[in-house]
Amino acid sequence: MIDHILSILIFFPAVAAVFGFIIQKDSIRTYGVAVATIEFALSLWLWFAFDTNASGMQFMEHAALVPAFGINYILGVDGISLFIIILAAFFTMIGIASLTDTKNVKNMIVTLLFLQMTMVGVFAALDAIVFYVFWELSLVPMLYIIGAWGGPLRIYASIKFFLYTFTGSLVMLVGILFMAYFYFQATGVWSFAILDWYRLILPETFQLWLFVAFFIGFAIKVPMFPFHTWLPYAHGQAPTIGSVMLAAILLKMGTYAFIRFSLPLFPDASVFFMFPIAILAIIMVIYTAMVAYAQKDIKQVIAYSSISHMGIIIIGTFALNVEGISGSVFLMLGHGVVAGGLFLLVGVIYDRRHTKMMDQFGGLAHIMPRYATIFGIMMMASVGLPLTINFVGEFLSLLGFYQQSHILTLLAGIGIIVGAIYMLAAYKKMFFGEVTIEENRNLPDVNKRELIALIPLVIIAIWLGVYPKPVLEPISNSVESIVQLMHDKAQTEEAKSRIPNLAGKIVITKASQEEAH
Amino acid sequence: MMEIGLNHYLVLSTILFTIGLIGVMRRKNLLLLFFATEILLNSVNIAFAAISHFYGDLTGQMFAFFVIAIAASEVAVGLGLLIVWHKRHSNIDLDALSTMKG
Amino acid sequence: MEKYLYIALFAPLVGSMFAALFGARPKTVIAGLVPSTLLLISLIASSVLLVHIIGGGEVIHVEMMTWMATGDLYIPFGFVVDQISVTMMMVVTIVSTVVHFYAIGYMDHDKGFNRFFAWLSAFVFSMLILVMSDNYAGLFIGWEGVGLCSWGLIGFWYHKESATWAANEAFIMNRIADLGMLIGIFLIYWNTGTLQYEEAFAAMPGLDNATLTWMGIFLFIGAMGKSAQFPLHTWLADAMEGPTPVSALIHAATMVTAGVYLVIRSNELYSLIPNVGLFIASLGAFVAIFAASMALVNRDIKRVIAYSTLSQLGYMFAAAGLGAYWVALFHLMAHAFFKALLFLGAGNVMHAMDSELDPFKMGGLGKVMKASMIMMTLASIALAGLFPLAGFFSKDVILEAAFAEHHFIIYTVLLLTAGLTAFYSFRIIALIFHGEERYKLFGFHPHEAYKFMLVAMSPLLILAIIAGSFRTTFFSVVEEILSATEYHIHSHVTYWVMTIGTQLFVILAIAYAYKKYMSRDIKVPDGTSKMENSFKYKLLINQYYIPYFYEEYLVKSYRELSTVLWKQVDMKIVDASVDGIAGIIYGTGEKTRNMQSGNLSTMLKWMVAGTVAMLSLAVVFGLAVRYSDEIKTILSGLGV
Repeated sequence: MIDHILSILIFFPAVAAVFGFIIQKDSIRTYGVAVATIEFALSLWLWFAFDTNASGMQFMEHAALVPAFGINYILGVDGISLFIIILAAFFTMIGIASLTDTKNVKNMIVTLLFLQMTMVGVFAALDAIVFYVFWELSLVPMLYIIGAWGGPLRIYASIKFFLYTFTGSLVMLVGILFMAYFYFQATGVWSFAILDWYRLILPETFQLWLFVAFFIGFAIKVPMFPFHTWLPYAHGQAPTIGSVMLAAILLKMGTYAFIRFSLPLFPDASVFFMFPIAILAIIMVIYTAMVAYAQKDIKQVIAYSSISHMGIIIIGTFALNVEGISGSVFLMLGHGVVAGGLFLLVGVIYDRRHTKMMDQFGGLAHIMPRYATIFGIMMMASVGLPLTINFVGEFLSLLGFYQQSHILTLLAGIGIIVGAIYMLAAYKKMFFGEVTIEENRNLPDVNKRELIALIPLVIIAIWLGVYPKPVLEPISNSVESIVQLMHDKAQTEEAKSRIPNLAGKIVITKASQEEAH
Repeated sequence: MMEIGLNHYLVLSTILFTIGLIGVMRRKNLLLLFFATEILLNSVNIAFAAISHFYGDLTGQMFAFFVIAIAASEVAVGLGLLIVWHKRHSNIDLDALSTMKG
Repeated sequence: MEKYLYIALFAPLVGSMFAALFGARPKTVIAGLVPSTLLLISLIASSVLLVHIIGGGEVIHVEMMTWMATGDLYIPFGFVVDQISVTMMMVVTIVSTVVHFYAIGYMDHDKGFNRFFAWLSAFVFSMLILVMSDNYAGLFIGWEGVGLCSWGLIGFWYHKESATWAANEAFIMNRIADLGMLIGIFLIYWNTGTLQYEEAFAAMPGLDNATLTWMGIFLFIGAMGKSAQFPLHTWLADAMEGPTPVSALIHAATMVTAGVYLVIRSNELYSLIPNVGLFIASLGAFVAIFAASMALVNRDIKRVIAYSTLSQLGYMFAAAGLGAYWVALFHLMAHAFFKALLFLGAGNVMHAMDSELDPFKMGGLGKVMKASMIMMTLASIALAGLFPLAGFFSKDVILEAAFAEHHFIIYTVLLLTAGLTAFYSFRIIALIFHGEERYKLFGFHPHEAYKFMLVAMSPLLILAIIAGSFRTTFFSVVEEILSATEYHIHSHVTYWVMTIGTQLFVILAIAYAYKKYMSRDIKVPDGTSKMENSFKYKLLINQYYIPYFYEEYLVKSYRELSTVLWKQVDMKIVDASVDGIAGIIYGTGEKTRNMQSGNLSTMLKWMVAGTVAMLSLAVVFGLAVRYSDEIKTILSGLGV
């Protein structure tokens, strides 16, 4: 069974979702929780069986789809994708468990399970076509969640979300096809397997064009400034669970794809575009943080803060060294946990008051102390306080990028200041001061069902902040192999010097040790 | 006396085709539209037959037969529809036929 | 010995978690007692470590576990107890133990009693991490941790707008500095390849001067935030919104001295870059007099003490910047004791006066609060630096050091500040405890604080009196790791003239303060007197208009810019352009749908038009391909 664990992880929720249609309405929640829990347990098993010292792909599966064109069903995980898959399983589980009284609960759970299939599929796929299929499929459940359970502007938001991301991915598809064509020209065989592509060294001009094609697809998904405006709408209109999945997992597809595709396939182009992208990312960090500060709706604050954090992830990715990329992968997890948690927390208050406007609150710390505490912890994690999960990622990302540019890191670092500003201001507006609105006086504190979802998140946020090693080590191993690959493939002088040579380093240190002796 | 060559046939075919095309564009009567279509098809048939003869390859003439067969069945079906339409609306004016407006 | 290290470090954490368990419940005395007792244990463990170090024992260095490791980066949770950190541990644990026990009384009637102790003990834990860590990343954990706890404690009474505002201000100002610190850490990592103090310092002499200078500057920016140095100083005075024990512990004795600690800890770096050191010293001297001047007129006893803290921090930086690290550390220690005592005394006064802070509304309280009066007076004498109390020994050495290093401007500024310090300290003493009983006009009924609160304060009183006598021991201990120079003025005559002169100057300042503020005709100022309308007074009472400037020009413009970015840029430019593109596509559809009129005739016409267009395109391309060579020559002839 362990040989096919990835297929099982992908298709078990889908099959379960189909059966979900025939389950009684009363027991659908239990069913959903059970399926998601099994899935989560399976993903933990995957982690358990994963060899953390190996850097390459594990649990590879291979089945022919269209052999004539080299399209195959190839799956595999490494340290980078492993934890995002676990995170996806985890969030689906707590998402379903904490689902509050929505209409059509059955449809929602079925949709979530389908969504889970597509999410795991994206992160496990090692064939560009399979990857693309899951990538696009993931839009459908999300479209449905926003469109069917969303707020008043849900149709506009869902269409915007769909068309925007879809347009981007079509450009990416063109890139994928060209890449395969170049591969065909170089080797005489068609292949869409990513690992095959890794071995291909493209001329720099081709790299630049392909990089741009892929970049557009990924950047819209991330979303990078100036392609970010779909996100606040999507978050603003989506139901709680939709925002949670969107922020925690779906956004990570873009940043993950940068590491999986852009960096190792186009090392020279990555170096070429490093500074422009870093500048975009810095604008994204500071600009969206400032926009977040101006928001009146707490959910929009968190939505914009998501964009801001994604900027740091991009910065870390384009540090092009082990510290930075490991940091960015870790921050993906961190941001998933924290942003997901914050959206759940917003859902808690929205269920009670049916408003998200901050001026409708104030003094909630008096009425809901437990809620205020958990929100406070999550907020501090979002601000990136040491010993919380986000700090590790942010620290490593910025540390990594510092090697490439001092001044840009300093500018990106402003993110930690402006991040504190909007978060503390929002917290102050919601929780501090006197209770001014009568309706708020009798709000109940968080209940058991909500705690089931929130407590694990708090624990993870602190645990991985204090002891990130079990996660960071496998990530770091896999990242090292990617960085080494990039260095080996790099052709231009600049790329060679910007991307560290890990193999060389070991040799040098050994030599210097001998010298010392 | 000038010998009739391939070009003459092709010119004839082109003239017929143009006549058919103008008919298709200008006629408002459905029945006349059918006529125009027939002219179009037959212009093509002439070209097929002439080129077939020119190359000494019978495929073109076979194709012409094929076109004739298709045209016949098309006319049969088309006329049937036309009659039904005429029975219902008692006219066959094209401008009245706009239920597929986008 | 490692055992004691762990006890000293983790006892406060346990205490904090214990109190947090009761967090949302109403007052439970045990939630205050247990953390206090655990702190006492931590204090005992620290004392054991101190005895060990004084006895010439080995420096204790433990590595608990890995924190972050990726690529070449390796950051463990490592702790070190050496001469510097053990001093800091003693300061932190003594003051916090006293403050904890004191707070059991002080927070007696507060409904956030349990929460208070959770935060307070968490603070002590963070502070211990800060001083005990053996690497910069660990220091940064503590650094941010104390920032967080300070946020929680300044905004402890979160129903007050001013308190939460001050809390956020403190956090954000510190964040600005933390960015500098973070950059300093990055610089250290990429240049030395490690963040461990020992290894990093060992690698530093090999680096070029510019890099070292930048490191020094960025680390010092971090220190400026925590220690509230100009221009990041405004948060400290506003932080007085927190409960008074917090002000005593965090904003006087421990957290604000973290910046000084950082400079002392990085002494091996700073001794390589004397230019930065000189800048630090100059800034320190400037802040000393700058803060003292604001303290002269302020009408809020806690703020006056806060400014005096700021001023004393300036002294410490002046010492550290001049390379007299041990002097800075010694003053840090002595200052912690008497300043905490002063604050706790102020807390007693506040308690007695129903949280009234204006000393002009007090007067003559000495009759009802004798013990508090004695303690505050002694603390003020120590602060003013009169023989034989603690301040004399620590502060005088700073002056001597400045003189001996021939930085006479700094010396003069600091000397002047000593006079100002004496004046404003005794100004409030005189206003609070002596003179006419003005409080009666306002209907207060002051009473002395609980006995056990006074008892709890007594260790600080004793230390404030005798701390000076530790000087020789202290010197012999720290000289092992700090570049220790005994600062001797060469000629004895100069030395005695200086010392006695300084003493006289200070005594005169005290006498002037008493004379001016004990008189019977002190009235509660109502804004009409000539002095209050003078420009100088306005400038000082408004803190040189710096907070006003920050609020008007920085905070407001940030807020407005944010709104503009959201409403104008994000909504009207970025989003609108996306919608615009979508709109164009929609619009084309809208426009062209008329083509699809449903009229067979029109559709046929379009079809023909399309066919013709495509055919002509095909012809054009065909021709272009056939004559491509000719076209190229023509184009090149045209110079394309």
